[in-house]
Amino acid sequence: MAAQCLAHALVALSFTGAIGLTFLMLGCALEGYGVYWPLFVLVFHMISPIPYFIAKRVTDDSDASSSACQELAYFFTTGIVVSAFGLPIILARVSVIKWGACGLVLAGNAVIFITIQGFFFVFGRGDDFSW
Amino acid sequence: MAGFLDNFRWPECECIDWSERRNAVASVVAGVLFFTGWWIMIDAAVVYPKPEQMNHAFHTCGVFSTLAFFMINAVSNAQVRGDSYESGCLGRTGARVWLFIGFMLMFGSLIASMWILFGAYVTQNTNVYPGLAVFFQNALIFFSTLIYKFGRTEELWG
Repeated sequence: MAAQCLAHALVALSFTGAIGLTFLMLGCALEGYGVYWPLFVLVFHMISPIPYFIAKRVTDDSDASSSACQELAYFFTTGIVVSAFGLPIILARVSVIKWGACGLVLAGNAVIFITIQGFFFVFGRGDDFSW
Repeated sequence: MAGFLDNFRWPECECIDWSERRNAVASVVAGVLFFTGWWIMIDAAVVYPKPEQMNHAFHTCGVFSTLAFFMINAVSNAQVRGDSYESGCLGRTGARVWLFIGFMLMFGSLIASMWILFGAYVTQNTNVYPGLAVFFQNALIFFSTLIYKFGRTEELWG
């Protein structure tokens, strides 16, 4: 039963991930836009889980509820997320991309980051479901 | 009439234990402020590329603010008090000197950014946006430092 739940969650997450990437690609490929600079936000999407995994690997003590390394990882992850939103805005400010494309890319960013967070939520839970 | 709000309590949300998550929330808020500050400066540098509009030397304030952020947050409060088991490479006095220098750099950069805003932009009757960007970058990094340093509790580190 739990495995079926996880399978459903995986399908739902891949659906939202595809929606997010669709928004991103629409921001690049639509008739009036045609510029592919916004695809650079994919770099931010790919590196966003890395600080968390580095902190998890480095911290051995699982009794403590938090550690300095884990908090630094949250700090840098937040920075990567902010940067993924900042880049399209700056591209639109200097008219490299149009504001409509910027809006689509920001929407795609939001959906993709929610998907990534959903992955951590669903698959990082472990056996206990308490808060 | 006096004290009529004394028995007022915020509606309780029992589902999340905020005391356990205080450090994570503080880290995330500090991250948002810090990187928003940097992106404001990047925006100003991109929109005003000529040195007459924004002198490239004004980036120095942000660089020193960032350096100060990492200096201030490199020492834990326990090391400054002398409480921690391992003394670190500087000891208690060294940690205090390090923290002092860090805070001096931070305040110096903040004051310098205010000086730049008023001396190079407000009084010169030019477009004031680059000066505001320098000021907001340093102000946001300053507040981010405070939240990251004092918003987290070391008791959660076990």
